[in-house]
Amino acid sequence: MDSWIHPAIFFFIGALILPFFSGKAKKIFLLLVPALSIIDVALMTEGVFGGYHFLNADIIFGRVDKLSLVFAWVFTIMAFLGAIYALHVDEDGHHIAGSFYVGGSLGAIFAGDYLTLFIFWEMMAFSSVFLVWYRKEKKSIDAGYRYLLVHVFGGLLFFTGMMLYYYKTGNLLFEHILPVDAGVAEYLILAGFALNAAVIPLHAWLPDAYPEATVAGAVLMCAFTTKTAVYVLARGFSGFEILAIMGTAMTVYGVFYAVIENDMRRVLAYHIISQVGYMVAGVGIGTEMALNGACAHAFAHILYKALLFMGAGSVLYMVGTAKLSRLGGLYKYMPLTMIFYVVGAISISGFPLFSGFVSKSMIVASAHEQGRIWLMLLMNLAGIGTFLSVGLKVTYFAFFGKDSGLKPKEPPKNMLWAMGLTSALCFIIGVYPGALYVLLPFPVEYHPYNLHHLSEMLQILSFTGLVFFLLVKKLAPEDKMNLDMDIFYRAGAWVFMKIDEKVISVVDAHWGEVYRTVGLSLLFKNARVANGFDKKVIDGIVDGSAMTVRSVGSLVRKLQTGRIQAYIGLALIMFFLIVWIFLKKV
Amino acid sequence: MEWWLIMKIVEYIDFLKRNMKGLVRVLIVYLIVLVAFDVTLSRHDAHYFVDKIYAFWTLFGIVGCFLLIKVAKGIAHLFLAQNEDFYG
Repeated sequence: MDSWIHPAIFFFIGALILPFFSGKAKKIFLLLVPALSIIDVALMTEGVFGGYHFLNADIIFGRVDKLSLVFAWVFTIMAFLGAIYALHVDEDGHHIAGSFYVGGSLGAIFAGDYLTLFIFWEMMAFSSVFLVWYRKEKKSIDAGYRYLLVHVFGGLLFFTGMMLYYYKTGNLLFEHILPVDAGVAEYLILAGFALNAAVIPLHAWLPDAYPEATVAGAVLMCAFTTKTAVYVLARGFSGFEILAIMGTAMTVYGVFYAVIENDMRRVLAYHIISQVGYMVAGVGIGTEMALNGACAHAFAHILYKALLFMGAGSVLYMVGTAKLSRLGGLYKYMPLTMIFYVVGAISISGFPLFSGFVSKSMIVASAHEQGRIWLMLLMNLAGIGTFLSVGLKVTYFAFFGKDSGLKPKEPPKNMLWAMGLTSALCFIIGVYPGALYVLLPFPVEYHPYNLHHLSEMLQILSFTGLVFFLLVKKLAPEDKMNLDMDIFYRAGAWVFMKIDEKVISVVDAHWGEVYRTVGLSLLFKNARVANGFDKKVIDGIVDGSAMTVRSVGSLVRKLQTGRIQAYIGLALIMFFLIVWIFLKKV
Repeated sequence: MEWWLIMKIVEYIDFLKRNMKGLVRVLIVYLIVLVAFDVTLSRHDAHYFVDKIYAFWTLFGIVGCFLLIKVAKGIAHLFLAQNEDFYG
């Protein structure tokens, strides 16, 4: 524990003392916290820190190696950019939720054991949901509850897997698992991780919740949850074939929905699934180059996806809607927002000179290197869809296209600054990929700027543009919502409520009636028979026993108060009684 | 100063919108040059095996984009797209 300071500490302490600041001091403080964490990460050396022995398990708070460091770098940088973007937000609670969320994700990437990881994992879910709820609209509150329930489910999968893993191996150390060793425990943990990485079909929480989050909250959320999941997958489950296939399926699935969605932020949310798909596929392919690609892409993706969410959030903040069917012609009134959004869009599409070009191609090339031609072609197909939906469709229908008559102003200065800085980073990474490659876990031998790659990307992107302008009328956004996997639990919840209303409550009422009439009267009859038997046969010998049975009967009746608190209280007393008896025996 | 630059960009976009025909011509020339450039690339040190085919990615881009739009919109209209108050 010598010289290592956990970067999450800054965010936790910052969250606790934030309410004591106000005005300008608060703004400086909000920027100071992530700035300190960046310095902390910059000064970090590799090693294992903060180990404890607790409940027969080794707890490790700080495993610092190249894999956790690259994520720590981008997480702290993103926290800083997100803080600039959120400077105009007045609610302390929003900043506190954001701080705990960022701190949770930093805690998760440095965790060296499953227990620590689990605690920070849950902290992320329970703090990020407030970033959805702070939007304070009914839709957001509903979406937040669904988000939380799905994540609790994912957490339970993880927890069950963790317990089984402990039972199997006798420790909770979070190390790489070989595909041949994986059993039920490992696959449950994998499923818990996959849910957070939005691997289909466990992805529906993402496009459900993110578009309903606050403007500044969505910028943070798009960066941390899925990328923490990519980190844990890369740490524990690299080389799992199922991830290579599901990841590639995600890349296409995400763009498929992005092509038909109407809400700007929902298009972007589906794109997270697509982009995280590349990373998951990279982890699944599992070679050094593929893992490098997954990390590089996570780094680049966090920045440009946040930039896109910032741009879409600015439109939502200034116009009041992010629905493409109601936007158009905004370039005249929000030119800076438009420019920054376009930088994000061409970065995600993989234009030369921007960050997607140097990161995504690593994963695609590694798929090809392993002879996985279909994976490589499908990833390139998803690349077409990326440019088509995020690059062309959203840009065209929001900022160009028909004039919607809207005349919004540019967003507040802090939002513009955040977008400007993020744009600059996307450009720097694209022009000077060495700056990113040096952070990657393995040595990099890949050179993105070669003529074939250049020609390939320019052909794909340019001819996608051509087809877009030929078919632009077909793509006109529609005021519709598209069904997705969430129908199973949303419609499922509806069915459950109906069953509850029609069946369970009726059965419950009847059962109560049966119990009152049959159960209690039996008890009384019993008591009466016993009483009579007593009086007539052994009267005087065990006098009073009949009275006892009767009083028990009435005691039971008294306990049937119908009040749930009383039942819970009784259950608790029973529980402690059992524990006491059990412990006494031991 | 920077505001002046931004307004110049807006003016330039307006200029391009007024001269759509010229813009389209320039872009068509660009596409032709792009394909020609790919044809001149050496084939034996290709990046991917498909690079051995002339202008493979041009074809891939056109067909892929066309299919994506048609299939996605088709399925959406078939059953995916519902009214916005579908879940109430």
